[in-house]
Amino acid sequence: MRRHLVGYAFISPWLAGFCIFTAIPFVASIYLSFTRYNIITPPVWVGTANYELLFGGDPLFWESLSVTLKYAMVAVPLGIVAGVSLALLLNLEIGGISVYRTIFYLPAIVPVVATSTIFIWILNPQIGLVNGLLRHIYIPRIPFTDWGGYHLVGPNWLNDPDYALPSLVIMSLWAVGGSMIIYLAGLKDIPTSLFEAAMIDGASTIQRTRHITLPMLTPVIFFNLVMGIIAAFQYFTQAYVIMNGGGGPEDSTYFYALYLFNRAWRYLDMGYASAMAWVLFLIIMAITGLVFRSHRRWVHYGG
Amino acid sequence: MADDIGTTSLSERIGQALIGLGLLAVLALVISVATSTPVDRRYPDREPVYFWHMWTGEWKDEVDKIVDAFNKSQETYEVVALSIPAAGGAMSKFLLGVAGGDPPDVMAQWDSVIPNWAEAGLLQPLDGLMSPQKWEELRREMYPAARRIGMYKDRLYGVTIGLNIWACYYRPDHLREAGLDPDAFPQTLEELSEWGRKLNRFDDRGNLIRMGFLPGNWIHMALAAGGRFYDWEKDVLYLNTPDNVRSLRWLYEERARLGFDNVVRFRAGLNEGGYAQAWGFMSGAYSICVDGQWRVEQIRKYRPDLEYRTAPIPPRAEGGRKLASWSNGNFMIIPRGAKNVQGAWEFVKFWSGIDHPERAAEFYTMGGWLPITPAVAEAPFYQKYLRDNPQFRTFLEVLASENVEPTPPVPYQVMLLDSINRADDRTMRGAVTPEEALARLQAEVEQEIARRRELGYAD
Repeated sequence: MRRHLVGYAFISPWLAGFCIFTAIPFVASIYLSFTRYNIITPPVWVGTANYELLFGGDPLFWESLSVTLKYAMVAVPLGIVAGVSLALLLNLEIGGISVYRTIFYLPAIVPVVATSTIFIWILNPQIGLVNGLLRHIYIPRIPFTDWGGYHLVGPNWLNDPDYALPSLVIMSLWAVGGSMIIYLAGLKDIPTSLFEAAMIDGASTIQRTRHITLPMLTPVIFFNLVMGIIAAFQYFTQAYVIMNGGGGPEDSTYFYALYLFNRAWRYLDMGYASAMAWVLFLIIMAITGLVFRSHRRWVHYGG
Repeated sequence: MADDIGTTSLSERIGQALIGLGLLAVLALVISVATSTPVDRRYPDREPVYFWHMWTGEWKDEVDKIVDAFNKSQETYEVVALSIPAAGGAMSKFLLGVAGGDPPDVMAQWDSVIPNWAEAGLLQPLDGLMSPQKWEELRREMYPAARRIGMYKDRLYGVTIGLNIWACYYRPDHLREAGLDPDAFPQTLEELSEWGRKLNRFDDRGNLIRMGFLPGNWIHMALAAGGRFYDWEKDVLYLNTPDNVRSLRWLYEERARLGFDNVVRFRAGLNEGGYAQAWGFMSGAYSICVDGQWRVEQIRKYRPDLEYRTAPIPPRAEGGRKLASWSNGNFMIIPRGAKNVQGAWEFVKFWSGIDHPERAAEFYTMGGWLPITPAVAEAPFYQKYLRDNPQFRTFLEVLASENVEPTPPVPYQVMLLDSINRADDRTMRGAVTPEEALARLQAEVEQEIARRRELGYAD
């Protein structure tokens, strides 16, 4: 018993921090979501009014949720495909590979705000790097038709409601190095004996990737998938910086967390914002739960 | 193995505990050093007045000069200024400061927060800090915009130290080249729009390369274009009204003529965001445009050779209001729970010029700011500024008008302004018609009102 106490005493700094900064606010926000609260005056109990209003007809709630869902559905799978592909490439044993690894990892350590600011320039429709490159692409005229015969004109990216969200997805791939490193570590963990056995059996590279590498990598993919989903639903900083705190063209990048922030800090509606936070939490829990339930079917532990 | 701790000797355990405690002590020291705010007090024996503001860079230097001037002007208080950038969470830091019982004594704000914050009980009414006579006098003297921005439900919560007004900037060189007379600037919006068409320039592929007339946002233009958001006598909010539809439709048609996408692309290419020097008017991308008075100061700084003039936004022939503009601006607030209210108030009076307009006139000219009362504008220092910057006079002329209106002072003002700008954005991109935009705006606001009622807010 005393030994346990000593143990707890040693982790007490962390425990105290966790309680004060995580557990108590977490529990308090449940209560706050049933109140109206402007931070200054004491919260007033309003029952389930916040939730009813949220579901009952707040168009911005549904719109921001749909923006966030769209982003998550595209950015998370793309991030996994890009991360795994890069990791496979950077797993090759060629000269200077560690230099390449560093280069691809580098964007992941650039602060998000800096990346966002740079992307405002990169995606500028007139003077940006991307459209500048696209302008060099010439589509030759197809004989006997009116088709072609011009240089490509890039889209309006961040200023176009159809392109603003895809722009943010592209930007998210820029920082894929973070998950790439984890995939790379996963790849290094796969026992070489499996590959040797497959080679003796005459398996081709594609077969080895398909039947050994990818299955053995699934625990890591699973981990990154769960983390990616959570991060996508909490997506905030990049959109906030790039769209200057607004929702972007026609609210096409008005993310859930952005609306939540506005409700809390700009409209002084902490109760409503807490309700929104809890709805978001339940959505993330539900989706993560589904992913966990599916994991027995496609995640392989072994080797 | 199971009894690892039990088998170690007592002295070893004490040693380990001491190392642990030592590390904790180091951690505590690092945290306390890192988080303590080493405030540079030049007059440690005076009462401190903690002042937060959101200016950075060269603006911060101007603010520091005013703070220095205050500290030199008397011997009771020392204003200690702290710059917290808006993007660094100035708003949430302020709110948490008030909630935690440790707010600054005074803060300079520019977002439309007074109704929200006053309603939430965050702000100290300032009229109570004056004698009733003085307050009566000030209330009478303040420019209409200063009164409307600073007051909520008949109390004063913010003292403006720099109002913003929008008006037309135009380039005589472009006008002459198009055969238009710079001395006969249009008297109606219709006429102005016609001038704009004559001044537009396109390349051979039909892309816009110069915009003849760039109107401001709807909120800047609404009154001149015949719209109206608020009845200041009766306290009534107007959104989806025929007048407002007409005013937004005017802007919509103006934009449609040039092509919605064409304008978005053209303006994005100018990349004006954040850089005074990149303003399209200075580079000749616009011949006539609607913008704020601070541009006068920026032209003086970055393009002193530029020939330009200013004029009030002309009203629409039918139903438009003369000398009309939206207004916002910088203002001082004193939060509830401020520890040195008297010191804060002295500083507010000093900067705004409530007590001493002649002295404060200099501060207003530092950033090209519009004053709180005509007394400041009449002061010799301000008059000299006007002689040096004659185009600034237009803004003073508009400032005196009753047709200068800030965002309606409803307790959900921040949200209202967001919604108005959202309606504007959608319309100007051609995504919805003005009628649809206003119907949605009305619905959004009505829903917010219903929500507030449901939650039991006073109004």
